[in-house]
Amino acid sequence: MEQLKEQLKRQIIEALNFEGMKPDDIDSSAPLFGDGLGLDSIDVLELLVLLEKNYGIKLSDPAESKRILQSIDTMADYVAAHRTK
Amino acid sequence: MGVISAIGIGVGETLRSLLEGRSGIGRIAYLETSHCDLPSGEVKLNNAGLCALLGLDFKSDYARTALLGAVAVREALSSAGILEAFDTHTALVSGTTVGGMDVTERHICNDAEENTNWDFITRQDCGSATEFVTDLFPVFDFSTTSSTACSSAANAILFGRDLIRSGRYDRVVAGGSESLSRFHLNGFNSLQILDREPCRPFDSTRAGLNLGEGAGYVVLESERSVKERGARPLCLLAGCGNACDAYHQTASSPDGEGAFLAMNKALKDSGLKPSMIDYVNAHGTGTQNNDLSEGRALERVFGIGKVPPVSSTKSFTGHTTSASGGIEAVISILALQHGFVPSNLNFSRQMEELSFVPSTAGDTGCDIRNVLCNAFGFGGNDTSVIFSKTEESK
Amino acid sequence: MKIVSFFSFPIPSGDAVLSEMYREKGISYPKFFKMDILSKSGFLAAEEVLGAAGLRNEEPKPDMGIVLVNSTSSSADDVAFQRGLKDEEYFPSPALFVYTLSNIVCGEIAIRNRILGETSFYIDSAPCPERMIRYVKWTFADEMIKKVLLGWVEVFEGGRNVTMMLVEKDSAEGEDFTVEYMEKIMK
Repeated sequence: MEQLKEQLKRQIIEALNFEGMKPDDIDSSAPLFGDGLGLDSIDVLELLVLLEKNYGIKLSDPAESKRILQSIDTMADYVAAHRTK
Repeated sequence: MGVISAIGIGVGETLRSLLEGRSGIGRIAYLETSHCDLPSGEVKLNNAGLCALLGLDFKSDYARTALLGAVAVREALSSAGILEAFDTHTALVSGTTVGGMDVTERHICNDAEENTNWDFITRQDCGSATEFVTDLFPVFDFSTTSSTACSSAANAILFGRDLIRSGRYDRVVAGGSESLSRFHLNGFNSLQILDREPCRPFDSTRAGLNLGEGAGYVVLESERSVKERGARPLCLLAGCGNACDAYHQTASSPDGEGAFLAMNKALKDSGLKPSMIDYVNAHGTGTQNNDLSEGRALERVFGIGKVPPVSSTKSFTGHTTSASGGIEAVISILALQHGFVPSNLNFSRQMEELSFVPSTAGDTGCDIRNVLCNAFGFGGNDTSVIFSKTEESK
Repeated sequence: MKIVSFFSFPIPSGDAVLSEMYREKGISYPKFFKMDILSKSGFLAAEEVLGAAGLRNEEPKPDMGIVLVNSTSSSADDVAFQRGLKDEEYFPSPALFVYTLSNIVCGEIAIRNRILGETSFYIDSAPCPERMIRYVKWTFADEMIKKVLLGWVEVFEGGRNVTMMLVEKDSAEGEDFTVEYMEKIMK
């Protein structure tokens, strides 16, 4: 699980161009939106693409996406349970 | 004026579709894409057909945006009585964002880097569609392309007005043209704002927009020139306003600040009071974000309970992106001329957040003197234009 | 009309140099790294020009407009986004798509500096001071507008360069806003 979280962090940093940021800089339990990383609506869409591309997970219900994308922890839990690749 | 869209080729057919409540949105039939199931507003003619309308020999390298633009510009010039060049001092201000993308995408898609024809691609940028139109008609001695996403054509009208005010031109053809492309169909799809059902602007269950394509242009002419040649104006371009929402690259601010500023500027420019507006042709894309933000801005401009009849004709044409300001300008002028409020199709449930509902009855026999037409674009670029009946046409 | 400040730089290939400029300036605006080359270039040039004029701040500016011009629109991003549409590997990037709209650079500058006036993006085949002056005059036709941030922002293969300037309608200070002076600074 820790490995998956680390991998997710690295993928997020790459997909969202957080230059100079390291995986350790992201707190797994901190919110990704609002005060945390400060992601916006387009970032959400990028994260959805990331999940589909790397893990074969397709999310279309906005409410569900919001729940899953709360933090690295919630993302990792969902990916571990639902990944198809 | 001239227009081509999913609901008709030319002003006459467009008017009939609007009056009969006949939408042009359906399955994709002409664009080659795996997303045929996404409802879209295609012009019901392929490129060869468009060439035939223009009397051109069909070439696969003609961009659809350019062909659509040429068809609408020709109608505009012809109806204004200036197609046969009696004088070449006319400017063209055209809005587009897709440009020659439909041609480009055939070249880039599966090419390896080294095989990509860069020279060809740089020739297919947005400016080339405008140049194609300029070359086709001998009346133009100046042209420029405005590219501010979905407000491009409305801004072209605004810039055309400024060009006439500056005294440099007496006649400007202004509007915009945009064809569907796999490029922006996929792009909007990746933003998850395309509805898989026909769009429902201002409905509480709205789930996004349908893309459309087409072109719409108006011929703007100075008062002096109208008098000199004894032309009969369709209406008065009473006012324009553009403002920047400065909120987010794609999302509109929750209180519709940019839209509010743009509408107020247009009203101030026209000298009209909000209560004198008889119909608002809304931007009304059908996305959650736009309709709420625009709705709030309308309530702020007109006051709760005082919002005039509003409809989004994107329920007929789809969202024709850069061309929308031009096509909807033509629709607004038709509403003035023929005294009707185009229907906001597919509406059934009021948005909880708003105090008003859009017009769905398609009322005719109305006294419509002043119409406000909105076009908002990504980048926070918001434009409002007001058309009024002239003394002669009242 | 006077040019009260201007800034000009060639854009090297790749955007490492732009990141370096960003760091050297000590700017803190994480969104910068999400922008494409066109927006990054325009953003940095605007920082310089508005900074020099004492206007680099978040005060709402309803009296300022933006006019940007180039010859290839957003072609660099268009090509990149298009590559993401290859059939076997269908993952178009929403963020990249947003930047295929050339006027997003106007939006980025407006968001950063709270510029609320008219914004426009024109496409001309080559840098032409005469036309750029005309666009600014059109923008001043809106009586609320007193200042225009004007720029040539070209980032496609080959002719990469940016020249940005602040034009003030009623300023007594600054260089005259003429074709000759524009030609000089756009070289």
